[in-house]
Amino acid sequence: MSFTVNSISYKYSSDSNLVLKNVSFNIKEGQVTAIVGPSGSGKSTLVSILSGVIPTLIDSGEYEGSFDVEEKVNISVVSQSPENQLFGYGVEDAISFGIENMGISNEEIIESVEYVLDLLNIQHLRKRSVATLSGGQRQAVCIASVLAMRPDILIMDEPVSSLDPNGKEMIQYVLNQLRESGQSTVIVDNNLAWCSDIVDHVIGLIDGEVVFDDDKNKFFDDFKIQEKLGVTIPQEVEIYRELSNRIKGLNKFYTIDDAKREIGKLIGKENGCLPIDSILLKSEEILVAEGISKTFLDGFRALIDVDAEFEKGKVISILGQNGSGKTTFVKHLNGLLSPTKGTIRYKGIETTGKSVAQISKDIILVFQHPEHMLFEETVYQELTFCARAQGIEFNEEEALDILRYYDLLEYKEELPVNLSMGQKHLLTILSVFLSSAEVVILDEPTLGMDLHLKNKLEDIIKRFTSQGKTMIIISHEIPLVFKISDHILILNEGVKLAQDSKQRLANSDDIFESINIALPPVVILSKYFGFSHVCSDTNSFVQEVIDRLV
Amino acid sequence: MGDFLQYVEMDSFLHKLDPRTKFSFFIVMSVLTSFCKSGVALLFLFVVFTAIWIISHIGKYMIELLKKVKVLLLFIFLLWLILGAFMVNDGPTIYRTTYTLLGNGYTLSLDWFDLYKGAVFAMRVFLMISVFYTVILSTNFSQIILGLRSWRVPYAVAFGIGLVFQIIPIIIQEFSTIIEAQSSRGLEVDKCSAISKIKNYIIISMPLLFRVLGKGHSISLAMHYYKLDFKTKRTSYKMIKASYLDAIFVSVTVISTVFTVVLQLKYYIPL
Repeated sequence: MSFTVNSISYKYSSDSNLVLKNVSFNIKEGQVTAIVGPSGSGKSTLVSILSGVIPTLIDSGEYEGSFDVEEKVNISVVSQSPENQLFGYGVEDAISFGIENMGISNEEIIESVEYVLDLLNIQHLRKRSVATLSGGQRQAVCIASVLAMRPDILIMDEPVSSLDPNGKEMIQYVLNQLRESGQSTVIVDNNLAWCSDIVDHVIGLIDGEVVFDDDKNKFFDDFKIQEKLGVTIPQEVEIYRELSNRIKGLNKFYTIDDAKREIGKLIGKENGCLPIDSILLKSEEILVAEGISKTFLDGFRALIDVDAEFEKGKVISILGQNGSGKTTFVKHLNGLLSPTKGTIRYKGIETTGKSVAQISKDIILVFQHPEHMLFEETVYQELTFCARAQGIEFNEEEALDILRYYDLLEYKEELPVNLSMGQKHLLTILSVFLSSAEVVILDEPTLGMDLHLKNKLEDIIKRFTSQGKTMIIISHEIPLVFKISDHILILNEGVKLAQDSKQRLANSDDIFESINIALPPVVILSKYFGFSHVCSDTNSFVQEVIDRLV
Repeated sequence: MGDFLQYVEMDSFLHKLDPRTKFSFFIVMSVLTSFCKSGVALLFLFVVFTAIWIISHIGKYMIELLKKVKVLLLFIFLLWLILGAFMVNDGPTIYRTTYTLLGNGYTLSLDWFDLYKGAVFAMRVFLMISVFYTVILSTNFSQIILGLRSWRVPYAVAFGIGLVFQIIPIIIQEFSTIIEAQSSRGLEVDKCSAISKIKNYIIISMPLLFRVLGKGHSISLAMHYYKLDFKTKRTSYKMIKASYLDAIFVSVTVISTVFTVVLQLKYYIPL
C-alpha cells in the first residue's frame, strides 16, 4: 500500500507564483521517506497539503491535483519546535492531549499512552513537567503525543534542527523504533547527515518541482543532484564523492568502517603514533575570561571557574551538550550576565560597569533565533541596524555590495520577516559587518540554513577573520566546527574541560567520549591512516589520500 | 525569581488539593475580601493565609509577591491617606491645620483613622492578589482545565483559560530574550534617558509582536494536527477526585469565612 501525491500544483493567491508545480510521488507504507530541497523549494507548503492544513485552515490559495488517501487515513505532524506544539503541563498530559480529542474511552487512552511510552522508551519521563525536559526529550514527547493517535503517516519537520548531539541520538533511536514497528514516516529536512541510516526513500524538490524521487542509495550516488539540492550529507558520503571524482574504480562506501576498508585498499594503514602538530603561532589575546563562576538565584551553578583566552583574528568554537554552560558563558563575554566571581577583560581592560550596548561596540553577540532580532521595515535597514545603533558611519554602496554578494539585493526593500529562516539568520549575521565590533559571537549560526547558505556562512566567517575580527561560535555541527575553527573550547556541566587547537584536541578521544560527541569522520580516518596531520575537512583529507597514492 | 506569577512544582499540601477545592477557595476569599472592610477581620484573614502559606512552604513566593506589589500597595495607602486628610474625623489627630484658598477656609487633618483606612485598603488589595497567586502557584494549567471541565465549563472556554496560563510565561521569556538580543546588537536599554528608553522598548515590541503572531500560528497548526474540535465530545486520561485533604481545607475555609463575617459585623468602623 502507498499514499499517492497526484499532480499537485499550488499558489497562495491568484496573483502569486506557483509554489508547487505538478508534484507527484508515492509515500510507501512502512518506509521512511525524506523530502529534501533548498530554502524556498516548497517543502513547508507540501507539508501543509499532506497534513490537510491546506485547504482546511488555509483556503485562500489555488489548489490543483490531489493527495489520494482515504478519508479515515490519519496523518499527523511533529513540528521543529515542540514547545509550540505540546499542550499540557506534564508529559502524560501532553501525550494524551491528541487522543483525548478522538473521544475514545479512558481505558483506550491509557493503553495508547502506555504503548508510546514503551515504544519510545520514555517511561522515565512520564511524571516530569514538559518545561523541565531537554530539547531531545521534548521532541520525543512530541512524537509520542502524535504516535498515540496511531497516525497512518507521521510527518517530522526538521526534527533535530535545534538539538544537541545527545538529543539527535535520542531522535535517531526513536526513528529506528518507528521503522521497526512499520510506521510510515516522512522526514522533511535538508540535512541527511543525521538520518542517512534510517531513510529509505528520498524526494528532492527545487522551485516547487520534484527533481529526484528514488531510493537512498541512488540519491547518494547522484553527486550532481546532492549539490543542486543543497543537502547536507554524511561526511563519509562526501569523502566518497570527492575521492571517486579523482580515483577511477573506487568501491562505494557510506560508513566509517567501509571507508577504512576501501581507502585502506588504496593507501594501506600506517602504524605508529600521530605526531602532534607544531605549536601554532600565538596572536594577541583580545578577550580573556578569568575564573568565571556563575550561580543563579535558585542555587544552580551554571559555570565553575572557567578561564578562556580568545586570540585576535582566530575562530574559536565552543562545544558541549545542552546545559553545559555555552550560552551562559558567552552572555558573560558581552555583559548580558554578570559573573558571581571572575572578570572579563577586553584588550586588557575589565568590561565591568559597561552596558551591553556599550560593550557591543567591541563584542557583539548574534542570537540563535533571528526572529528575536529582526524588526526593521526593510532588509537594507536591518543590515545597517548595528551601525546606526552604535553610531558608526557607513557607506551605502558598501551595504548594497554586501547584500549583492550574499544574494539578498533583490530583497532589499522586503520585510525581513518574510525571508526564509536561513536568509533571516544570514541577514542578522551580515548586519555585524557594518559594526565596529572586533569580537563576533555566533550562537548556532547554521539554524535553518541549507548547504548553499552554510557555504555563504563559511565565507562570511573567512571575511571577518581576514579583517582581524575574532569569531566565537557555538555550534552542534561538529564537522563544520572542525572545518572552520582554529581553537576549540569544551565545556561540560559548567566546567571547562579543554581549550586548545583543533589538531591537538583531535587526539583527545577521551574528552570527546566523556561529553558524548563523536569526532568528524575525516578526523577519525586521518588518525586511523596515521596521517602526518589531522585533516579537518573533506578536501584536505582527499588531497592527503591522493598525495599518498602519488 | 524567574518563576514569578507561574505554577511552581512542589509536593505541598496545596498542590495535592483538588483544583475545584482551590477554585472554591479563590471565589469565596475574593468575595470576602471585596466586601470585608474591617481591619480586624482582614487581619484575621491575613493570619489564616499566612498559616496556609507556611504549611505549604510557599512563604518565600508570597514575600516575593509582596516585594513586587509594594509600590502599588504604597500608592493605595498614600492615596487614601491624602484623600482622608481633606476630611476631619473623630478620634486622635496626628496633624491638623487650617488654610484659606480663594477666600474659602479649609482644614487639613491627618488623623490616626486615615492611617487605618489606608492600611485597610492596601491590605484588601494584597489579599485579593495573594489569593489569586496562591491558586496559580499551586495549580498547573492542565489541572485548571480539568477542574473547569468538571464544573461543566465548555471545553473551548476551559482550554482557552489553560492556554493563557501556558502562554504567558513563554511570552515573558520571549520579551526578555528580545531585550537581550537587541541590546547585544547595540540598542541601549540601560544607560539612556527615559524618553530613549521608551522609544527603544517600542522597537523591542515589534519582534515580540512577530513572535507572538508566530506562536499563535504554530498553536493553531498544532490544534489541527491534534484534531482538536470543540464540537466533538472529548474524553480524559486523568480523573480528579477529592481526598481527605480537601475536606480539611474546605472546613478551614468555611470556619475562616464564618469568623471573618462575625469579626466584620462586630468590629466594622464605617470608612
